[in-house]
Amino acid sequence: MPLYICNARKGLISDQTKALIAKDITRIHCQVTDAPPTFVHAFFFEEASNVPLGDKQALLYGQIRAGRTDKQKQEIVDRMQEAIHVHTGIARDDISAYTTDTPASWVMEGGDLLPEPGEEESWLVAHEAKLKQEV
Amino acid sequence: MVYASCLVQENQISEEQESVLRKEMEEFVQSSFGESVEINWIVVPKNSGFTAGVPSTSVIVSVRSNVILDKERRVSLLKELCDIWMTVTGLSTNEVVGTITDPPN
Repeated sequence: MPLYICNARKGLISDQTKALIAKDITRIHCQVTDAPPTFVHAFFFEEASNVPLGDKQALLYGQIRAGRTDKQKQEIVDRMQEAIHVHTGIARDDISAYTTDTPASWVMEGGDLLPEPGEEESWLVAHEAKLKQEV
Repeated sequence: MVYASCLVQENQISEEQESVLRKEMEEFVQSSFGESVEINWIVVPKNSGFTAGVPSTSVIVSVRSNVILDKERRVSLLKELCDIWMTVTGLSTNEVVGTITDPPN
């Protein structure tokens, strides 16, 4: 978590471009939220029915941890929309993007509940220490 | 009916493993929530899944609870859910992401 789902019309985003967009999604999310990159998942689909495209050519849906400010969420949406536009050439108006909030305490990753926003660093230290002990 | 979604990478889970996972998810949901599960099994196409900006080996399993859960109960259920997936698939703890949400308002 976060999980970003990018859905697009068939053939619009090549595999190479997906890799570029995924790097940008990861970088942007981490820059805006200070989350560690290992938390960021970006999955791409073509005309997936569970995230309908409507009249758009591409759609980005981000399921992010609750606690981000409206400003952060808007920056995420704006910058990721721009990244998809730059890498694909799809007009910005043809790309929709939005996020929804999921409480950190509802998600387990690496065997631990995810940290609340702002508590990532101490979580990572404790998590890595725990994994070392388990080896 | 309890709804669940399983996001897996293409060619990551064999048909046999998927069959076992579906059965174990059904048992998990029946014993935890007293209802059957409807699973939306979603395969992320090859070269289309990324974690930390590199090709992903993560699975993301989400279950929508039919009751509001307190933290202790949710943690216990999440551990059980993630353990099922790690045991059946052989994936590591860092590769299994589990989510159990409360019912919608």
